[in-house]
Parts: sequence; structure tokens; C-alpha cells
Amino acid sequence: MHWNAKDMDTYLQQKEYIDTLLVPLVRLETDPTKMKSSASSTEFLMHLSTFIETQFKGRMMVMPPFTYTQSTNLTDMAATLSKDVALTPFKHVFYVTTDSEWTTTDIEKEVIWLPAIPLESMDKSLRQSVIEDQLKQILPLLTKKWANG
Amino acid sequence: MSKKRVSRRQFLSYSLMGVGGFMASAMLMPMVRFAVDPVLQHGGAGDYTATKQKADELTETPVRVDFTIVDREDGWYKSDESYTAWVYKDGDTIIALSPVCKHLGCTVNWGGDENHPNQFFCPCHAGRYEKNGMNVAGTPPIGPLDEFDVMVQDGLVYLGTTKPNTLV
Repeated sequence: MHWNAKDMDTYLQQKEYIDTLLVPLVRLETDPTKMKSSASSTEFLMHLSTFIETQFKGRMMVMPPFTYTQSTNLTDMAATLSKDVALTPFKHVFYVTTDSEWTTTDIEKEVIWLPAIPLESMDKSLRQSVIEDQLKQILPLLTKKWANG
Repeated sequence: MSKKRVSRRQFLSYSLMGVGGFMASAMLMPMVRFAVDPVLQHGGAGDYTATKQKADELTETPVRVDFTIVDREDGWYKSDESYTAWVYKDGDTIIALSPVCKHLGCTVNWGGDENHPNQFFCPCHAGRYEKNGMNVAGTPPIGPLDEFDVMVQDGLVYLGTTKPNTLV
């Protein structure tokens, strides 16, 4: 499910089935030398979350990405996010990001960190298979969480 | 030949009518053509999209076929849209099923569940479908998987639009 009015209606009717929230965390670099790589990893992460959404439409709500710039205090951001996200009725919450700083930041629930793969030079079918491979990597994490209730 | 003389006045009015009629028809013709154009446009073969799947390589086991409809127009906005189908052969007929789960729209996989290798499996809520798309009773889906229109041309599988399952 996307975070839009139509999908939200479906969600509100099917709450018992859609129990997972996926939150993409996007780091934007404003330093001109890093802007290209930041754009590339954003592209990768957005492609991946869209793909996850089509695969697990009926179980997952994908939030619009949370974007922050490089000097954001992640500890504070994590605290705020955890507190606010806890108010939603979702049973499972996953954060997905390409920013390695999150691996050392304390945040409630699961952070899925993936190295960004530059997709811009790939053709369509290669891009698709790369994204699928990435999903296969994180699939066990999801199913394990779901299996444990 | 008649002896009736054509007067200068008559000649002028005839030629004016002729030229005027010609100009009017030059203006009206495109208008009429534009107006009836939607009626003349025919669907048919144009609605099918080529896939990379060769028809004679298909077996009884469903395989995933990805295809893209390029330049799909939504108003003035053009985009490419990717679709997936599960395609297999049943006797001589080729069957293509939509992977969209009838429960809440997840993507189903063939043999995705180890305990039921010969069924379609939805990872979201363990929904299952028989090979012909029939939903297994007792699992969440409320209807069978949709079916694609299939056409074979030059040995390649062409897929059309989805329609409600006709096999169950």
C-alpha cells in the first residue's frame, strides 16, 4: 500500500491483514562533491521500496521517505521517529536505508541497511534483476518477523 | 450541342460556386475525418504486447514472463509500464495468469511454498491457488487469479489485457 488516500481506505478496512510499515530513510548530501552519489543512492532506495510495495502490497504500507541532510542528529531523529511511529497500529515496523550511520544508531524496531547500487547505468532488465536480488536478501528478515507473529 | 448560350453572369456564378464548394469541402473534410476517427480506429492486434518468451519453449510448469508496455498514454503523460505473467502450456493451449493476488494485491509466486510446490503462493498471508488459478479454499483469497489474453506470432508469446479467469 502507498501512503495515499485510496490505499489508506483499503488499509482502514483491512487492518488485520496489513500489519507492516516500511519507512525509507533517505540521506541527502548537500556537499556538491557528494550530491551525485547521494542522488544515485536515493534513486536505488526509491526503486527498491516501490518494488517491495508491489510484491507485498497486501501486507505492507510504504511510507513516503524520510529525508534528512548530512548534519542531522540521527539519535534525536531516531527518538522522535520511534515515539511517533509507535502510535500507529502497525505490528511490524521496518526502516530501510542506504545510510550506514543507521547501523550504529539506536532505533526501535528493525533497520534494514543495504549498500547503494548505482542503477543509472544499467538497462531496464538488469536493473530489475538487481532490485530482485536485493529483495531476496531482505526477504528472510521480513518472513522471520512475520512468522514470529 | 444545345444552342443555349451561357451568359457571362451565369458563367461567373457557376465558377464561383465551383471554387466556393471546393474551398468549403477542403475545410469540412478534415473536420468530418477528425469526428469519425475514433470510430474507425480498431483495437485487435494493437492491444497485444510482445514478450521475449518463445512459445515452443513453454512447458507444463508455469514460468515468469516479464513484459513492458512502452509509451502507455495516460492523458498527455507517457510512461512505460512493466507487467508480469505466469505462463504455461495446458495441452496445446497457452495459459497466462496474472500474478496479482485476489486478496489484497500482492504478487504471487509459483511454488513459493515448500509444502505446496505445485501451487501459486502469496507470501503476504499464505494465500494459495491451484495451477489453473483457482483459489484454494480456506486461504484468504476470495477469487481465482485473472487471466491474460494470449496470442502467438512468429513463435513469440504476445499478451493482451487481463480478464476474469475462464478456466475455473
